[in-house]
Parts: sequence; structure tokens; C-alpha cells
Amino acid sequence: MSVKNNKKKELDIRGKICPMTFIYTKLALEEMNKGEFLEVLLDYPPAVENIPYSCKRQELAEVFEIKEIDADKKVWQLILRKI
Amino acid sequence: MILSEEQINRYSRQIVLKEVGGIGQKKLLDSKITIVGLGALGSPVAYYLSAAGIGNLKIVDYDIVDISNLHRQILHFTKDVNREKTESAYEKLHALNPDCNIELVKERIIPSNVKKIINGSDFVIDGSDNLPTKMLINDACINLKIPFTIAGVLRFHGQIMTVIPESKTTCYRCIFGDIQEAPTGMSCSQAGVIGPVTGILGCIEANEAIKFILDIGDLIVNKILYVDLLVNSYDFINVYRDENCIACGDNAQDLVQTLDYGVDRVCQ
Repeated sequence: MSVKNNKKKELDIRGKICPMTFIYTKLALEEMNKGEFLEVLLDYPPAVENIPYSCKRQELAEVFEIKEIDADKKVWQLILRKI
Repeated sequence: MILSEEQINRYSRQIVLKEVGGIGQKKLLDSKITIVGLGALGSPVAYYLSAAGIGNLKIVDYDIVDISNLHRQILHFTKDVNREKTESAYEKLHALNPDCNIELVKERIIPSNVKKIINGSDFVIDGSDNLPTKMLINDACINLKIPFTIAGVLRFHGQIMTVIPESKTTCYRCIFGDIQEAPTGMSCSQAGVIGPVTGILGCIEANEAIKFILDIGDLIVNKILYVDLLVNSYDFINVYRDENCIACGDNAQDLVQTLDYGVDRVCQ
């Protein structure tokens, strides 16, 4: 399975902190269909763990990939798959 | 409907809930709820429903604020004494959440206006202080198939039940229909009531409305929650639908047009 072959939505929540990081992610996921991917760009370190945890607990999405894309600026790309 | 940045922030602590989310928040913003009475029960009901983002609230009361109301009717302040309760309530509710469209009805609920007032509501909340009005709300809501919740408070205790006419759950008249009138001395003004019990019962009423709109959790149907804060007891009492109930039974009629409720004879 790859992200490229599936519909993908992007969400930039750089500058947001918890719980708004999860809330914006959740609102985006609610608009998506099962199996689609959401690519989240974030820079609030606790959210790297909190978003996947809350998505799993609320049965919204599973983590497909987490990448640190800018170590200096602490920016992560979180790829979630809607369940 | 797209939630604005401000709405996402304002409702964030309920959107974050699994049971609500953005989808649920939009349902709340789309909903229409009527609150009958803006006193001790209606105050917390209106406050929490407005805060939660119920999009359309109809608030009904004909009374004016009296200084003796203030220990329990939390929407009204000392400066509001002698002011219409609807106006006093509107000022606070609008200040709390301008998102909420509020319609003021400055009328006493009577048989000739009850259906017009509640028609079109998704849910009705009784915050009245007398049995005839509760019976009238019960009968009119059943006739129009509008879900509703009824609560009553006295001294340190209170009771609440929700009725879903479409599901034929036990109605208020099934249980209390035999009572012709409240026993002498059994009104809040004569028997007294402690403020917090009205707050708790009002909050539960608001919560019932929110759960119904969101279609989540369990409603207090086919049972009564009886609360006694003097001894901290919270008991559910199972109640059963009366097949012969004249309001919701198998041969029910439209009582609103025919019954003498005596709403106009209620002791103030």
C-alpha cells in the first residue's frame, strides 16, 4: 500500500498546540473516506505522540508514517490513514 | 456548514470528545430547542445549551424577576429585579454566545398557545414550576411527537424523566396523571427549595437535550431519576407506560383542546 495510489489530503497545523493539534486533525479526518491518507505538518513536539494516541483511542485513523522533516525547526510530517 | 476558526476554538473542548466531533457540533448548531420557564431549572438549561452552541433557542416565560428568585435562578442578577425574565435571560445568553439565535416568547404557556410555541422544536425542556403546566407540555409534545424532558424540584430533592413520543416511552401522565392538583403547601414558594438541587436537575435536563440531538448515550426514559441532596441519594425508579394513558396510550386523544388544565389557576 502506498500513499501515492490513494487520495491524500494535507493539513498544516504548524503553530498550533494541543489540544488544537488533534482537533484540527480530527475535523480533517471527519471529512475523509475510509482508507484515505491525511498528511499533517506539525511543529509542536507533544503532538507527535498525542495525535496518534487520540486518533487510535477515537478510532479515527492509524499512523502510516512519522517523519522528522526539519530537525532544526522541529517540524514533523505525520501521515495518517483514515479507518 | 463550515465551522469558523472562532467556533472551532469556542467549542474545542466538546469537539474533542469522541461523541461530539465537528459532525456533532454542526448538529448542535443546527438544532432548535424550546425552554419553557426561565427560573431555577430554565436558567442552567438555557445557560449550558447556549454555551454548547445550540443554534436556535426559544425561551418562554411571562414572569418578571423577583428578588426571592435570585438564590436559585442563576440567569438573573440583583439589577434585573422587576425586569422581564426573557429580557434578563437574553442579555446574559447573548453575551455568553452570540452564535445562538434566541427567540423570546413573553407568554404564559396555556392550551391555546402551547402547540404554536413548541411546534418545529427538535426538543422541548420543561422548566416550569407547576404540575398543570408540566401536564400541558407533556400532552402537547406527545401530540406533536416532540421529544422532551421534565424535571421538578422541591426542598432538597428533585426528579427528572425524558419522553420520546415516537418510541412510545412512558410519559409524565402515565405516572402522575391521577394527581388532580398539587397538595396544599407543595410549591417552591411555600415548601422552599435549595438552589443547588435546581442547578443539578437543570444541568441534567440540558444534558438530555444534548444527548438526544447527538443521538448518543442513554436517555432517562422509562425511568425517573430521583435525587435527594440532603442525603446524597441518586436513584433510578423504573416506570412503565400505561396502555390506557389518555395522553400516550393506544387510544390517546388530543387532550390539549379538550382538557381543563387549570394553568390559569396556579398559585403564584
